Amino acid sequence: MTLSTQAGERRRRHLGSHAFLVVLAVAFLAPVVWAVLSAFKPANDIIRHPLEFDPSTFGLQNFVGMFQDVPIAHGFLNTAIVLLVKGSITLFCAPLAAYAFAKYDFRGKSLLFGTVLITLMLPTIVLIIPLLLEMKELGWVNTYQALILPGAVDAFAIFWMRQVIAAVPDELLDAARVDGCGEFGLYWRIVVPIIRPGLAGLAVLTVMNIYNDFVWPVVVASSERMATLQVVLSTLASTISGNKIGADYATVTGELLAASTVALVPLLVIFFLLQKHFINGILAGSVKG
Amino acid sequence: MTTTSLPRATHPRRRGAGLPITRRLAPYVFVAPFVVLFLAFGIYPMLFTLRLSFTNWHGAGSARWVGWDNYTYLLTNPAFWNSLANSAVLWLLIIPVQLVIALAAAILLDNAKLRMRGFYRTAFIVPFVTPLVAVAQIWVVLFDQNYGAVNAVLGALGLPDIAWLTSSAWAKPTLALLFIWKTTGFIIVILLSGLQAIDSSVYEAAALDGAGRMRKVWSITVPLIRRTLMFAVVLQTLAVFQMFAEPFVVTQGGPYSSTTTAGLYLYNHITRGDLGTGAANSFLLVILVMALSLGMVRLLRAKD
Repeated sequence: MTLSTQAGERRRRHLGSHAFLVVLAVAFLAPVVWAVLSAFKPANDIIRHPLEFDPSTFGLQNFVGMFQDVPIAHGFLNTAIVLLVKGSITLFCAPLAAYAFAKYDFRGKSLLFGTVLITLMLPTIVLIIPLLLEMKELGWVNTYQALILPGAVDAFAIFWMRQVIAAVPDELLDAARVDGCGEFGLYWRIVVPIIRPGLAGLAVLTVMNIYNDFVWPVVVASSERMATLQVVLSTLASTISGNKIGADYATVTGELLAASTVALVPLLVIFFLLQKHFINGILAGSVKG
Repeated sequence: MTTTSLPRATHPRRRGAGLPITRRLAPYVFVAPFVVLFLAFGIYPMLFTLRLSFTNWHGAGSARWVGWDNYTYLLTNPAFWNSLANSAVLWLLIIPVQLVIALAAAILLDNAKLRMRGFYRTAFIVPFVTPLVAVAQIWVVLFDQNYGAVNAVLGALGLPDIAWLTSSAWAKPTLALLFIWKTTGFIIVILLSGLQAIDSSVYEAAALDGAGRMRKVWSITVPLIRRTLMFAVVLQTLAVFQMFAEPFVVTQGGPYSSTTTAGLYLYNHITRGDLGTGAANSFLLVILVMALSLGMVRLLRAKD
């Protein structure tokens, strides 16, 4: 086989690869692109001509109607509050506990870490009923603390951060100790700067998990005042199935797509800005080989 | 943290012996916030539920001890088995399709000479980043029998309409499509990390042997990333048996309970206030999921 035919064969093979990958990419992007574009169409056109897009008819009617009918701004506010407080707790407590697991000996360490590993395997939905009852006992149903405290330090974050911190050389820590650095100072001034990429991955993943969390908020904080963004979105769905006929369906559909678009955008922006950390975050928990 | 819980400095087995007190105290202080939250919102509710699962409590008033009644009620209840069967069918609809697509895409993306790799990887991961509830809403609109874009595409191709959400035959495949769409990019990234750990000399040796492309995938790639593949399967099995938001938003478990998954069935006990049965259901689900995961891990070990 000559060099040129080899190159030709490789090009043909790449063509096949691209064909498959392009079809897949289109299938993965189409629903999102369709929804975002349709949100700008007149509501009636969305259901009458779902596949036609005429930019000259695009407008913000669906968004205007949606902001009037749906308490989505309030949902955003609740999500932002939970995100800020819960995210801070996770990012402060999990790496600190992981540091203790990675770099110290203490009584009960293996028992505690073993329990962490077991909870990694437990389906999260299993804790819903017991936690809900506990919230009832505490009188915390429909409060911020119920949205924030349970799950604030999850087992995965500890497990992952322990692996990251274990890679920090002990000699560095010992040298800093000789220089008179305190134990928390070691963590803050030596460990944290070294594990910054891992922390960034954890931060992105934590933001995504809290922003998307649905099961727990819908169970414990479904009141209008406490509903997070995702809960607000989900109640819109029951409105739509209640209005299946004619123009009403069009209006609800338009507003629903507008609401979905508004909910999609923040995460997509974060994702495009921090893609590298994002993919590192996903890979952190995976098994290789 | 009291000093009595600390090891005595003279204890020979402790490595901390002789170290300054701050260094011995530090780890307890560092894990304390985690331990408090973990005991309060992890261990305590678990133990509380175990007790609850043997009562007929409805969330208020006094609870009566009913022994194994909740468990026998569930295990003899067709609706409970139906929820497990629905999840099992979804598992069958999802896992094989997803693995084949993800493996093919990951192998193609693993080729460093391929152009636009960054674009593809980004495109594949976008669904994973989108909020599930928002996407489930979009699914309701897209798959509407009369006004949805999917049936419009079928119509343009001269194919008949499909009752995606309103027939019990199609509701499960529609949810399976949503799940596959949402999570395949995540599986691709995981498999890609496994592929990148393979030494390229393995392939060169196979090329010298004249192995064809499909053969190389089947007899070299797959065995080498077996652990990564199993990891993906275990992860997805857990996710499928917990599936909740998808049926909750898209189909509300219908039509005719055909999409009442194990997760949604568990949730329904809460809305009915039947918390004792719900607690028992939680534990049955824990046992099932643990057994499935351990079974798969053992399968993996046996082949090593």
